[in-house]
Amino acid sequence: MMDANEREKYRAAIHGDRDAFEMIIRTHSREMFAIAYGILQNREEAEDAVQDALVKAWKSRWRVRDPEKFPAWLCMIARYRARDVFRKRRTIPLQELVGHAPSCPTSSSSDTTVLERQLHSALAALPELHRSALTLRYFEELDYQSIEKLLGLTNGALRGILGRALASIRKQLKPALASLEQ
Amino acid sequence: MTPTIHAKIDNYLAADLHSDLSDDERRDLHAHLAECSACRQLHQENKLMHATLENILTSEKADSTFEQRMLAGFRSHVPKQPGRARRFLVDLMRSRAIQTAAVTALLLVLIGIGRMLTFERSYSFLGNGEELMAPVELEKGRLPRLPKADEMFARLNGVELPRANASPAQSEAAAGLKPVDTYRQDDITRLGVRSSTDVIQRLPAATGSTVPNEGAAEVERTAVAGSNAPTAEEVGPTPTQTPGPAVVNRKLIRNATVDLEVAKFDEAVQKITTFANEDHGYVATTSSEKQENGKLKGEIVVKVIPENLDRFLQKLRSLGELKGQTLGTEDITKNYFDTDSRLKNARIMEQRLVDMLKTKTGKVADLLAVEKELGRVREEIEKMQGDLKFWDSQVQFSTVTISLVEKDIDEAAKFLLKERAQLALYTPAVEKIYNDIKALASAKVQITNAQLDRDNSGRISAQINLLIAPEESDAAIARIKAMARVENFKVETQRVAQGGEGMSENARTKRDKVELKVTLSRDEDEQAYQQTSLRIRTSAVDEKAKQLRGLAEKQGGRVLNLSFSRDADGREFASASLRVPMKNYSTVMQSLGALGKIQDVSVARSERNGVEIDEANAPADLSIQVYSGGYIATDEGGIFATLRQTIRQGAETLLWSLRMLGIALAFLVPWVIAIFVVRWIVKRIAQARRKS
Repeated sequence: MMDANEREKYRAAIHGDRDAFEMIIRTHSREMFAIAYGILQNREEAEDAVQDALVKAWKSRWRVRDPEKFPAWLCMIARYRARDVFRKRRTIPLQELVGHAPSCPTSSSSDTTVLERQLHSALAALPELHRSALTLRYFEELDYQSIEKLLGLTNGALRGILGRALASIRKQLKPALASLEQ
Repeated sequence: MTPTIHAKIDNYLAADLHSDLSDDERRDLHAHLAECSACRQLHQENKLMHATLENILTSEKADSTFEQRMLAGFRSHVPKQPGRARRFLVDLMRSRAIQTAAVTALLLVLIGIGRMLTFERSYSFLGNGEELMAPVELEKGRLPRLPKADEMFARLNGVELPRANASPAQSEAAAGLKPVDTYRQDDITRLGVRSSTDVIQRLPAATGSTVPNEGAAEVERTAVAGSNAPTAEEVGPTPTQTPGPAVVNRKLIRNATVDLEVAKFDEAVQKITTFANEDHGYVATTSSEKQENGKLKGEIVVKVIPENLDRFLQKLRSLGELKGQTLGTEDITKNYFDTDSRLKNARIMEQRLVDMLKTKTGKVADLLAVEKELGRVREEIEKMQGDLKFWDSQVQFSTVTISLVEKDIDEAAKFLLKERAQLALYTPAVEKIYNDIKALASAKVQITNAQLDRDNSGRISAQINLLIAPEESDAAIARIKAMARVENFKVETQRVAQGGEGMSENARTKRDKVELKVTLSRDEDEQAYQQTSLRIRTSAVDEKAKQLRGLAEKQGGRVLNLSFSRDADGREFASASLRVPMKNYSTVMQSLGALGKIQDVSVARSERNGVEIDEANAPADLSIQVYSGGYIATDEGGIFATLRQTIRQGAETLLWSLRMLGIALAFLVPWVIAIFVVRWIVKRIAQARRKS
């Protein structure tokens, strides 16, 4: 259970305490970013999405009835916001996107960059929920329980999701990994 | 344990890398990895990949200034608000109670607006805004202290006072006038009850002034004294010199009629006499009439002095139930004084004529003319004197005409019990019974009408009307009933009140002569109570048909007709109709079973409502068809017939379900099409929007 202090903080934020809300931004915006990045796989866009989501959350904070669910609610807003952005982007030609993601390291042709590109395409093939779970885990190193709470998953479901996600990436990266091993 | 780990190795490996496994689970996993090389291989790969992922993704991670940027962005997007009030508002909005209250308030406001709208509409018929205020002003007018209202009352008094002057009591009231009171009076005058009994009832002294002998002078004085002061003060512009005497000398005739229902006529008369004496009156005339049922009704005319009239009427009410009352006033002042002055003139005329005769100058013819004229004048004088005297008496005393009726005046004196009976008989021998009934005739049983009809087809029927003395009636009817089968019997009794109407507990009831109408008809004409039709399959048709006759006769019935035929194929066919009494019906049916195989039995019974039926003896008709077996049977039974029938029914069912399908399609297709069209349109719109 959430400790009373934290709970009070969320309650104050819901009731319009700006300082409390800013405090929450400090503690939770990284999680939101992880989720948004999981969906968008683009840092700038993910940051914008989180920014929008925060403003939106502030404006509609009174909708939250249970203070304990406030972080999960924030993450949900970030998720929806990122998904909106993603949908709008869909009409942009795919090449641009493919070219965009590994844009910076194209110049060097080391093993890691090849691996990185392959990893990104493997990630892109995953469902967005799986990606968000992965990013939450690898960015913030949250334990399973917290991730489940933030993503609104039931108890124990995350193990399956991450297991499948890793297996899927592994299958795609097998050749690259093999070369790396040697 | 191991197989489950092997099956879910991906999950276990991921959880292991993310250190989410419990100690037991980790131990099991490693045990499995030690055994299973494939999983071990996966484990290695996973570890490698995990490291890569960590490497790559950590580089993608939000940098250390991320929070600062987010905060800055947030601050620039959401400017700082004046906190408290807004926060308070947000808090308020969050509260369920406030939300409920807001919804309620909204509803109330809506209702209020609706009400205001309808309210306005109801008044908008009056016209513009000024008129809209009218009812409010009227409301205000009822408050005593407002200047406007006072003005209004003064005006009202002006209208009211000339008449109110006459009464000292009234003018006293006027001195300490209560606005509300006058207002009510104004209402009355507006309603047009100007000289109505209501106003006059409140002026007993005014009417009293018309009593010539005792009160006149005194009343006149009080009236003038009482009226002057308040009129001068309050009325203002209205004429103060209202002619008092004219009002005082009013000649009013007040008459009343009262309708009363009393328990005992004589007691009431006695009481009325007492009341009349108490109120300085007398009973002028009494008349009474005795009804056939011993109740009395009558009329009493009482004269009372007008001052006591109201009190007297009040007393009368205690006598019994007041059915009606009228109170009338006739103002004869003008006629009275006209006649009075004409009388004075006529007297002067008389005097002069008398003087003329006394001087005895002139011709005889002139004298005769004078004499004649004098006679006419004297006659006139006498007539006028008579009128005045009559009027005086009328004015002096009010006439109250009381109609008295004893309770239950229309109670019946006696009742006559009239009985009318109808009897319909069926018999095989109409003529014999007809003669038997005629033979019953005696002093107490009289035949008023007898008629025997026989038409050319030999059908016979008869009708006899009898008039039977009450004491003989039951016996005679029973005797006639026993002669033949009763088809129906109807008795109609009527209680006729005589000498009045309505209920009466004590009135005698007398039985009148009984009218009896007997109808005789032959029993063939009778409609069967129950009709049965059936078929009998047998090999020996002719023989069985003949047996039917014997069977019917044994059971007290008979064969109405019987026919027999044989066709070219050798099929025999007989049809018979039998009539048996109902009581033997079941026996007949049983013995029919012995004749052959009974088929297609159908029974119809005609219930005749409201008619008394002797069910045991009522005729039951059986219509029987006897036929020989053969082709008919093959048509109806056997495996092929069954098969054919089954196929036919199957086909019918199939067709029916096809029809139902068609109907269902007709229902559904338009909807499905509509849904698809809508979906298509929505899709197109979405696409168009995305493109733009």
